[in-house]
Amino acid sequence: MLKSIIYKEWIKIRLIVLISLGLSLLALINIFLKVRHDILFVDAANYWYSFLFRGSTYFGILKYLPFAIGLAVAIAQYIPETVNKRIKLTFHLPVSENGILIRMHAFGAAVLLSLFLVVMGLFTAGSAIFFPSNIINPSLVTMTPWFLGGMATYFLVALILLEPVWIFRGLYAVVAAGFVTLFYTSASIGAFGPVLPALILITLLLSFVVLFSGYRFRKGEM
Amino acid sequence: MIRISRYILVLTAVLVASIALPAFYWTVFEKVPRSPQVYYSCITGDFIIADGSKRTDPSGKEFTLDEYERALPLLYFRQLMADGEMPDSINGIKLEAPSISRASSFYRYTPRKLKTPVPTLYPMLESQSGKVNLAMPDDYFRIEKRMEFIVAKTNKINGEKSALFTDALIEEGFVFPAKIIAGIPTTRKSVDEGYFVTDSGGSLFHIKMIKGEPYVIRIETEEKLDIVYIEAVDLRSREFYCYVFTQNQGIFVVMDEVYDLQRLPIDGFNPEIHTFRINADLFNKCITVLGENWYQAIAVDDMYKVVGTHYEEWSGLYERAEGKAFAAIFPFEIRMKDDSSAFIRFFFRPSPGYRWIIVNLVSLIIAIILIRRRGWAIGANIADLLIVGFTGIYGLAATQFFPNKFTVNKQPNNK
Repeated sequence: MLKSIIYKEWIKIRLIVLISLGLSLLALINIFLKVRHDILFVDAANYWYSFLFRGSTYFGILKYLPFAIGLAVAIAQYIPETVNKRIKLTFHLPVSENGILIRMHAFGAAVLLSLFLVVMGLFTAGSAIFFPSNIINPSLVTMTPWFLGGMATYFLVALILLEPVWIFRGLYAVVAAGFVTLFYTSASIGAFGPVLPALILITLLLSFVVLFSGYRFRKGEM
Repeated sequence: MIRISRYILVLTAVLVASIALPAFYWTVFEKVPRSPQVYYSCITGDFIIADGSKRTDPSGKEFTLDEYERALPLLYFRQLMADGEMPDSINGIKLEAPSISRASSFYRYTPRKLKTPVPTLYPMLESQSGKVNLAMPDDYFRIEKRMEFIVAKTNKINGEKSALFTDALIEEGFVFPAKIIAGIPTTRKSVDEGYFVTDSGGSLFHIKMIKGEPYVIRIETEEKLDIVYIEAVDLRSREFYCYVFTQNQGIFVVMDEVYDLQRLPIDGFNPEIHTFRINADLFNKCITVLGENWYQAIAVDDMYKVVGTHYEEWSGLYERAEGKAFAAIFPFEIRMKDDSSAFIRFFFRPSPGYRWIIVNLVSLIIAIILIRRRGWAIGANIADLLIVGFTGIYGLAATQFFPNKFTVNKQPNNK
């Protein structure tokens, strides 16, 4: 049963996931070609200087990519379920209704998380060619909230899409927009360090709020 | 599980509301806080306070712009010279433009400087290259388990230079890693004095490079200092190298060449919340310590002897109308950014006083009325009511955004 769910979910999101992976790779290639180019032109010592003392980052292009990917995966996975209320068919299977939704959602979250980890891993590997850990670590601290924001976007958009009543969709969207904005607050390099544990905790907790609108959907809330 | 997921959403909404609503409130109603500039006049022998467009002395006597400039001839000597009003000498000392500007300096410390992400790599300039202009090196150093120089072009460690500096540090008793590294990492300064560094034991060192060789001095202090922040300065008078801020022992300057620590005559300075300013001229240094709604000004002569003090206080944020109204509406606020820190965090600020209890009670009553009108059981909404009771309008909005409708299915007869 789990295998069939995974297969069904994969069919829905595979195109989006592959496009996202492709875009991410393009962004990474762009970042490192540009770093190489700039180091040739302005000299490596000057390039390091502008990162260390002027706060200019070389990876800004990645900022809203996780948000867009989280949004796209959630839409690809949950819009088809709400069209004609198809998810009700799933809920009629002889399995616990919550259990099936948790599995669907866990699969989507796992795919998204793997994608993000691959991007961050490749980013770290590429950066290691040009920079020491003293530049890479603050860079990772700076971009971690962006990727966490992508996860939070996925969880909250799933919540919004499964909600059956339009007015509540709007209200959830207000909260979601307010919350996701926090991850993209502009700040100097490494400034998010102290708040990361709290943001990680809240994002983890948000991973199962889809059950709330899932419940309302099942109970046919109007 | 589903109920818990609702409470996660409600609490997330409380968090978002307690950030967004106060931010909106302050955008509309916040007024520019007072931040007076205080100078010490060598003419009147008293302080002069410039606050906005108003200039007064401590007794409240107002100065016109011309009077103000004449009272501060060392600050406005260019203007006074242009007007032909510059005195030839003051206190028997002949005034000349070069000596005036050499002695003048200004420095400001804010708590934000203490709480800001700092780089862990710095360039070590050659301080006696024999050239007129300073030059950037092609490597950067870090002081972790040892002192290492990393060549930017190759991203590889220069082993020889690293060993040379590490050994020099060990010889002076440096305990790795470094805690604070403070210097002026730019070529735009009159002279290179390297870095002032504290080791993991809290001892203070001066490290620079002279003709490729390490120059390391351990700076002895009379008592152990809990140094929290150091800022190197490039004074044209070459009086001292840097300001040293301690948690509880006050502020020091490290005198040039001799490495004596001179304590500034300020007590009760808290680097976490207080701002510090110093205006130095040929005769005096005017030090100002600012809190949220007060300042203490201290003038010292060139031997750091106190020649005058002045204290002023004004009504704080929550004593003014906009702050009072805020504290009556919102029980607390959460900020992602705060003036006192460059880090992002959830800064929790409870509203002073208890006037917000009224709005919390009204919110609670509205919540109860809403529950009653929908025919839900109060017993099933205790947690909601507690959230509203504690978080006021944030909780009221949050609990309405995510309806607690589990009870309906269990008690359909109530409808």
